[in-house]
Amino acid sequence: MNRRRVKIIIASFILAAAMTFLVVAGVQQTSMRHFTPDALVAHAQEVHNRSIQVDGLIAEGTTQWDPTAFKLAFAVRDRDGKAKVNVIYANKLRPDNFKDGGNVFVQGKYNASENLIVATKLQTKCASKYEAADGMTAQTGGADTSDY
Amino acid sequence: MAELGQAAIWLSVFSCLWALMMLWMGVHHSNYNAVISGRKGILATFALITLATGALIYGFVTNDFSMRYVVEVSSYDQPLMYKVTALWGRMSGSLLFWLWLVTLFGALVVWTNRRATDHLADYALIPMAIVQLFFIILVTGLVEGVYNPLDRLPNGAVARDGAGMNPLLQTPSMVFHPPALYVGFVSLTVPFAFAVGALAAGKIGSEWINRSRRWMMASWLVLTVGITLGGNWAYRELGWGGYWAWDPVENASFMPWLLGTAYLHSVMIQEKRNMLKLWNLILITLAFEFTLLGTFITRSGIITSVHAFAQSDIGGYFLGFICLSTLGVLGLLAYRWNDLKSPNRLESLLSRESAFLLNNWMLVGLTLIILWGTLWPIITEQVTGEKAAVPEEFFNQVVIIPGLLLLLLTGAGPIISWKKLTPSNFKRMFAKPIVCGVIGGILTWAYLAWKGHTTPIYSTLCVFASVFVLVAIFDEFYRGSKLRAKRSETSLFDGLGQLIQRNKRRYGGYIVHIGIVIVYVGILGSKGYFLLESKGLQLGESMEIDNYTLTMQDAFQEEHPNFSLGGVVFAVEKDGKSMGTMRPARGFYHKAGQGEQDTIESSIRHLGLNDLYIALGPLPQNVPAHVDSGGIVSVQVYHNPLVNVVWFGVAIMMIGGLVAICEKPVKGEV
Repeated sequence: MNRRRVKIIIASFILAAAMTFLVVAGVQQTSMRHFTPDALVAHAQEVHNRSIQVDGLIAEGTTQWDPTAFKLAFAVRDRDGKAKVNVIYANKLRPDNFKDGGNVFVQGKYNASENLIVATKLQTKCASKYEAADGMTAQTGGADTSDY
Repeated sequence: MAELGQAAIWLSVFSCLWALMMLWMGVHHSNYNAVISGRKGILATFALITLATGALIYGFVTNDFSMRYVVEVSSYDQPLMYKVTALWGRMSGSLLFWLWLVTLFGALVVWTNRRATDHLADYALIPMAIVQLFFIILVTGLVEGVYNPLDRLPNGAVARDGAGMNPLLQTPSMVFHPPALYVGFVSLTVPFAFAVGALAAGKIGSEWINRSRRWMMASWLVLTVGITLGGNWAYRELGWGGYWAWDPVENASFMPWLLGTAYLHSVMIQEKRNMLKLWNLILITLAFEFTLLGTFITRSGIITSVHAFAQSDIGGYFLGFICLSTLGVLGLLAYRWNDLKSPNRLESLLSRESAFLLNNWMLVGLTLIILWGTLWPIITEQVTGEKAAVPEEFFNQVVIIPGLLLLLLTGAGPIISWKKLTPSNFKRMFAKPIVCGVIGGILTWAYLAWKGHTTPIYSTLCVFASVFVLVAIFDEFYRGSKLRAKRSETSLFDGLGQLIQRNKRRYGGYIVHIGIVIVYVGILGSKGYFLLESKGLQLGESMEIDNYTLTMQDAFQEEHPNFSLGGVVFAVEKDGKSMGTMRPARGFYHKAGQGEQDTIESSIRHLGLNDLYIALGPLPQNVPAHVDSGGIVSVQVYHNPLVNVVWFGVAIMMIGGLVAICEKPVKGEV
């Protein structure tokens, strides 16, 4: 192996190492645990005051929008379980498709003693948005499928 | 019509298998008649799938609510344009559309190579037919989790009306964004097929690259447009004032683009120096597999995304196909291993070859970083049992350094010499751009400091790199034009024309580089220096952002065929001078899947290179009544500097790409 080849291999190695370092450092700084509301309540103490993500449904009748303070408050409930977690989202508009029972994804800092997430990011997806789960046809899609 | 379409899909299974068999036999035994028959099979498949797609569109246009897919994505009062685009509104239809495109491109490959003297294109048609077969099987409805888009409702049922397409998708950029992405993705199949064909045929020279170059460039261009339209749609429709959020689906479209860009560069090394044969084959395979991976990510429901496609088993089929096709390529690579060695080696770390190599490293590295971030939830769940995810900030943070290096390379690559950089080359080519870059960086830093902004180091570096690249490339154009002008004794301007005319690929590429720099500048401004104000306002009240004052003057309500629009009117003043009005609103859709749905209809005002962007919070249906009775309207205003520069930069990239694609293929190519 000549010297040039060694140099090239070393250079590639340094680059790969640098990239890996970037990713590892980035992941360590930003990675946050992802929960269902049930799991979050069960692991509440572990993630007190930490940033987390929760995926659930918007609990019916909990949404309050204060237009003056620009503050959205609601609870996210588990799809299958009972747990509810309160969410506050301030100084930002709530996203479209935000409605009772709809899917919601919340990212923010969790306070275990108040069971509250101060959200930095909200995402919704309407259950009917692109595709209902298979087997769910137009009947649940809002259209009337009658026989005439 | 639906039955006819279904019959066409079933028949296409046979025409596709026929093509596959005949082509294989034909190229294997050099049987020209079999080859011709195989080509006809490809054309027949295209005709059949066109018929099936036509039957579905016919169903949309005639409001045939006995068809399941039509009921799900269309409705009586949906405007005609959106009835047609409903074709790719959901999974079944978009798979049919994807299939139609693969068959169209297959037919185009047959057509453009009809006079070719060798069998390279026929070899390439074999992997294409395999891809077609995969999609045909998906749309037949045979597999669990996806139904035939031409199915009727069970038991002869007819719906009174359809559910209608999601209102967020009923906007002009959604007419073009998905098909542009699909066309970009699917057309990548062609260069990939040529690569596989070349491997199978044992012709691993530059021929396959030559023949598929225009496909590759077209694919890259369309993908660029598609991604940009998606960002533009998000910006205008979603009301959060941004255009890119590292959403898994965005990443899924960005990764093939990065790999395609790497490939476009590395093939030049193969042509000039006969190196990197193996690498190019791997890159194009990766680019193709990543288009499927994107579908896997978006459709399998394994990752939370704003795009929220259905969770279905279809991801599994894609994953299976990805694995099988990758194994197939690996097998071929092993089979041809001895032909893949390059006679030439890299001579110096400071040379154009290594600049290209570094570019490839960075692009592939970025792809892997983005892939890692996107799949992080799966990785953590598999490894630790606890699902974790990385937010937008992760991507923003990790892409900076590779991104800046890539930016520098768009300027350094074109001016560094082949083989080895000499001190004289360095002085002649690099001195001016570096000096200008430093001056530009300092001036911008001073200007921003004077404006009261804190300037992070990467932002100054980005400005330095941008100026460096612009000066380097303009210098290239200037030097080349001057030489031409002198040689043919014309003006500098004519010299420039001749220069580009003579080498469209190279100078088109440089124009793309200029576009890239402009996009970087736009991203830096709009991501780094936007302002955001939120406030609840009553009629007559105002709010301020930057040096603009917005006063809520009035409310309005408009009725449209399938939605109504209610909003408010803002008088905009800059430093006390009137700038006209803006009308942000909420849209109320009567028919949107599950009952009513309201959407943000933001108002955007272009002020030179910057945007003023207003979005409204939830309002009752009758906005004027609400406002007149003293109701509060929640208003969110963004001041987005240089956001228009992003779109402008992409437009320049398009122009450059179009210039480059005009370059006539070298001999042997059609």
